[in-house]
Amino acid sequence: MIHVIVVIIAAMTAIEIRNLTKSFGPVRAVDDVSFTVAAGTITGYLGPNGAGKTTTLRTLLGLVTPDSGRALVNGQPYAGLAHPLSEVGAVLEATNFHPGRSARDHLRVLCTAAGLAHRRADEALDTVGLTDVAAKRVHGFSLGMRQRLALAGALIGKPKVYILDEPANGLDPAGIQWLRGFMRHLAHEQGAAVLVSSHVLAEVEQTVDQVVIIARGRLVRQGSLDELVTNGDAAIRVRTGKPAELAAALERAGGRVERADGLLRVRGLDAEAVGQVALSERIVLTEVAQERSDLQQVFLELTEGES
Amino acid sequence: MRLVRAEIQKLMTTRLWWVMLLVLFLYMALQIGVTIGFAGQVGAQGQPVIPARGTVPFQEVVWSMGAGGALFPMILGIVMMTAEYRYQTITGTFLATPRRERVVAAKLGAGVLVGLAFGLAVLVLEGAAVVVATLAAGEDVAVNAKIARIAVGVLAVLALYTLFGIGLGALVRNQLGAIVGGVIWVLLVESLVNAIPALQPVGKWTPAGAAAAVTNSEVDLGVGTEFLLPAWAGAGVLLGYGVLFALVASVTTVRRDIT
Repeated sequence: MIHVIVVIIAAMTAIEIRNLTKSFGPVRAVDDVSFTVAAGTITGYLGPNGAGKTTTLRTLLGLVTPDSGRALVNGQPYAGLAHPLSEVGAVLEATNFHPGRSARDHLRVLCTAAGLAHRRADEALDTVGLTDVAAKRVHGFSLGMRQRLALAGALIGKPKVYILDEPANGLDPAGIQWLRGFMRHLAHEQGAAVLVSSHVLAEVEQTVDQVVIIARGRLVRQGSLDELVTNGDAAIRVRTGKPAELAAALERAGGRVERADGLLRVRGLDAEAVGQVALSERIVLTEVAQERSDLQQVFLELTEGES
Repeated sequence: MRLVRAEIQKLMTTRLWWVMLLVLFLYMALQIGVTIGFAGQVGAQGQPVIPARGTVPFQEVVWSMGAGGALFPMILGIVMMTAEYRYQTITGTFLATPRRERVVAAKLGAGVLVGLAFGLAVLVLEGAAVVVATLAAGEDVAVNAKIARIAVGVLAVLALYTLFGIGLGALVRNQLGAIVGGVIWVLLVESLVNAIPALQPVGKWTPAGAAAAVTNSEVDLGVGTEFLLPAWAGAGVLLGYGVLFALVASVTTVRRDIT
């Protein structure tokens, strides 16, 4: 039984980075980084500019050869994938198009090289909302349109793993909103694994399930978004008319309580347990809230002095 | 094979190929026009430099001129490779085909086909010029084994120069550098090396010397033809340059990190 579970978990690991190290000259761009991305989840890969995010992603895509360590997609190095565009969709920086080639032709060339039907080019253009400009040369495209075209390129093979490097760059607010919804659709409805990098936390804050934070090539934190903001030591803030009685009752229930004029900060119990105690003691609560650190603040602290 | 198709598709979906074909046509038309114009005129040594219009040697000279247009397929070959780096489309190319040596092989395959197509276009132009000039001179249009060999030679030279360009582009990667270097090499270095008798033992091993061997009309246009390699060896030397460059590039420049 345990063996079966282990096999299932292994099969669900879409992306695996293990002890990855890469230097460019004297600069250690990525230093012993390890993390995994499971199918059906969105992982935010966060860090300041120059932290090593792009190098990690390019190593994963076989564009950069690591000095040591492994970067695997579906259990294999990228170069070992039989049909790479049908297994992995990637968006890298927005400039990699020939300016004289039309959007449709750009995608058709990819379809030909990947052995996919040419209609996939039009379908992908439709998905990202570029159908109207399909025949136009990329030369006249805005940054946002190029970003959408890059995303269309990632979609042509209908892969189950997505590697997106700063995909929100150049998108307008409506575009960013659309991208968030699209990533959620891919991960939570299609069951895809999405690894998305960003140096702007707010961009991914409402979208990602897991975060991996990197600074100066080193991994500084990984976990769920909730773990990050509660910092592993969650306090629950409770306001009531009878703070003394409630504090005593909560301590009897196993909580650690801090008092500050009418406000209680409770650790060691979750919000539901606090409510249950209040109910059984017939004490009215006027406010119950999970205390959270400001995510941006946590991000800055973790990467402070590193950028 | 689908990778070769993708490479052809890349070429056909930008404007470069027909611009290059047009320039090749204009260049060849000018060259052939000058040749027809000066045909039969007596040079400094009292001998006609170019055989008289309509004669069989004249027709052979015109047929062999196509090799001189090889510069343009070479540039096309350079651009086929270097444009990928210039516009960073190499990233997408290697994402679709992570086995990089296959990309280089596909480009060589596509280059042969494109070079042959350009060669056919040049042969059509030459054929028209030969027929018009010969009939106008009241002579008969010749069709012989030598002309057939020269025509095949023109096809081979244009195809092989495309390979040469692809190999050069893969090695140099900088588009402007590769084109400037290639053009200076072809127009200056090779013409000098093949024109100066003392350097001809070296010259026959250069791409231009090899190309001249492949399309050798055996008509002396001032620099002699006896020093050249046999046609088959010339083709081998030309093929060798393209393949050698591409092989060296495949284990050096093409392997580098794409950042």
